[in-house]
Amino acid sequence: MRQPVLLGLAGALALAVLPLVANPYLLFVGNQLAIFVILAVGLNLLVGYCGQLAFSHAALSGIGAYGTALLKVHLGLPFFLALPCGALLATAVGLAISYPALRLSGLYLSLATLAFAQFTLWVFMNWEAVTFGAGGFRVPAPSYPLIGAGLGTYYLSLALAVLLALAAASLVRSRLGRAMIAVRDGEVAAEALGINLLRTKAMAFGLSAFYAGVAGGLQALMLGYMAPESFDLFHMALMKAMIVVGGLGSIAGSVIGAGAVLFLLEGLRAFKGAQEIAFGSLLIAAVVFAPRGLAGALNRLPRWRESYLRRPARDAAP
Amino acid sequence: MTPRLAVEKVGLAFGGVAALSGVSLTVAPGEIRGIIGPNGAGKTTLLNAICGIVPPTTGRVRLDGKDVTGLSPSAIAARGLRRTFQTSALFPGLTVLENVVTGLHTATRAGLLDCAFGSRRLREEEREAAARARRVLEFVGMAGFAERPAGALSFGQQRLVEIARALVSDPAVVLLDEPAVGLSLNRLADIDRLLRRIRDERGVTLLLIEHVIRLVMEVSDSITVLSSGTVIAEGTPDAVRQDPAVITAYLGTAVHA
Repeated sequence: MRQPVLLGLAGALALAVLPLVANPYLLFVGNQLAIFVILAVGLNLLVGYCGQLAFSHAALSGIGAYGTALLKVHLGLPFFLALPCGALLATAVGLAISYPALRLSGLYLSLATLAFAQFTLWVFMNWEAVTFGAGGFRVPAPSYPLIGAGLGTYYLSLALAVLLALAAASLVRSRLGRAMIAVRDGEVAAEALGINLLRTKAMAFGLSAFYAGVAGGLQALMLGYMAPESFDLFHMALMKAMIVVGGLGSIAGSVIGAGAVLFLLEGLRAFKGAQEIAFGSLLIAAVVFAPRGLAGALNRLPRWRESYLRRPARDAAP
Repeated sequence: MTPRLAVEKVGLAFGGVAALSGVSLTVAPGEIRGIIGPNGAGKTTLLNAICGIVPPTTGRVRLDGKDVTGLSPSAIAARGLRRTFQTSALFPGLTVLENVVTGLHTATRAGLLDCAFGSRRLREEEREAAARARRVLEFVGMAGFAERPAGALSFGQQRLVEIARALVSDPAVVLLDEPAVGLSLNRLADIDRLLRRIRDERGVTLLLIEHVIRLVMEVSDSITVLSSGTVIAEGTPDAVRQDPAVITAYLGTAVHA
């Protein structure tokens, strides 16, 4: 097996035994890491591999989170049904906005998805009858066979993170992954090879929304509390930072970037204002000093070979 | 016999400017057709109209008798037409081999779940696709470069890989937009030989735009001459060479004292 995959599985194994020794805080950080990994991998599929600079990821994860939590709160759906329903809701919304949005390109796509994100937040805040408004609401604790709620969500998140990261790694090496990269590197040339642009972009958008929805649902289970500000632009910037720092077009980079951002976020927890400055600096530093991210730096190691390390083209061919 | 490719009275206007008007030509299966003409004659525009990138405003395009006018480029490509571009259009984020395998997109079927979970169907398809891609890289003489990043190749090498990518799905027709541009003169004989082998060994019908007149004259079975968006001459290389209209279009009118 390839070295990055082996290391990733080793990391997952370490997280799997972490609960034996960890305190509740470390357990929370481990759980958050798994969720961040899902978010980052999903966003990288859309931005890093397919080249679509969208700003809807945090909002879509919010839809997954609210969907999961509200299905439980209002309809009494058990979590093992509410979570997949929330994720599918996020996917459906993602696909629905992708059709108008993906006819736009570049800056216009960014602006349209930004507007969608703000609109979603507005709905979370103002549709009080359903979403309980800006104050948020409590999410009842899920129940798992044999283990407690905290541990159960922890292992569920970990298992889904491993599964979804491996699925993405397989996908990007397949014909559909190559189609996404082809669209990113040269739309006209891709079309001339029979690759349907809209369908390929919509697929990337829907996949990425699914990942966001799953992560959002897990976030709702883990926190036990939902509020709109968990899905605002600061969180969008966090997700962008994960994939830029980790490496655009790299699954290993997504995982590493998620870890790096979480480390910084937790390290600066005491200094709320400093977080944003730190992330701004981190992003700039990554763009200037390591444009291919930490994964790009790792790729220079003699034995490290993410055999399908994708990097976005500087300038797209016709 | 049904022509492999038929262009019937194709016209294309950008705003009020006619880039092509009433262009007709038919290409028989297994033919190498050269398209020549002065700069701005509409050669690349004609290729774009045929492959659907810029659909014609009037007229029809038929592939093996079937009307493909107005279809999207990807739909036309799926019906067995490929093209190369004037400037290299390889995907720089992929290796040479992956670039060529991408040419098999329409020939492979693995769905989202196959791709995400690495099903047996996906693995078999990928293995077969890679083998086909390697064979065609061998065919154009680029087998040794399969694992290189596409962006690391020289310009001439990129052209060859692009031709391999266009050929890998065994298309009926390939449109080549200046395959020899930027190549040194001693590589011209190689391109000449390669184009003939594409026709003879793979049975591909070629439509070739080329500025290197020597190459076009050598390799084409027949030649269509465009000037200002219309066909001004058509025939064997020798006939076209002698045609007064062609000489005028290229060299201007002789001034008699």
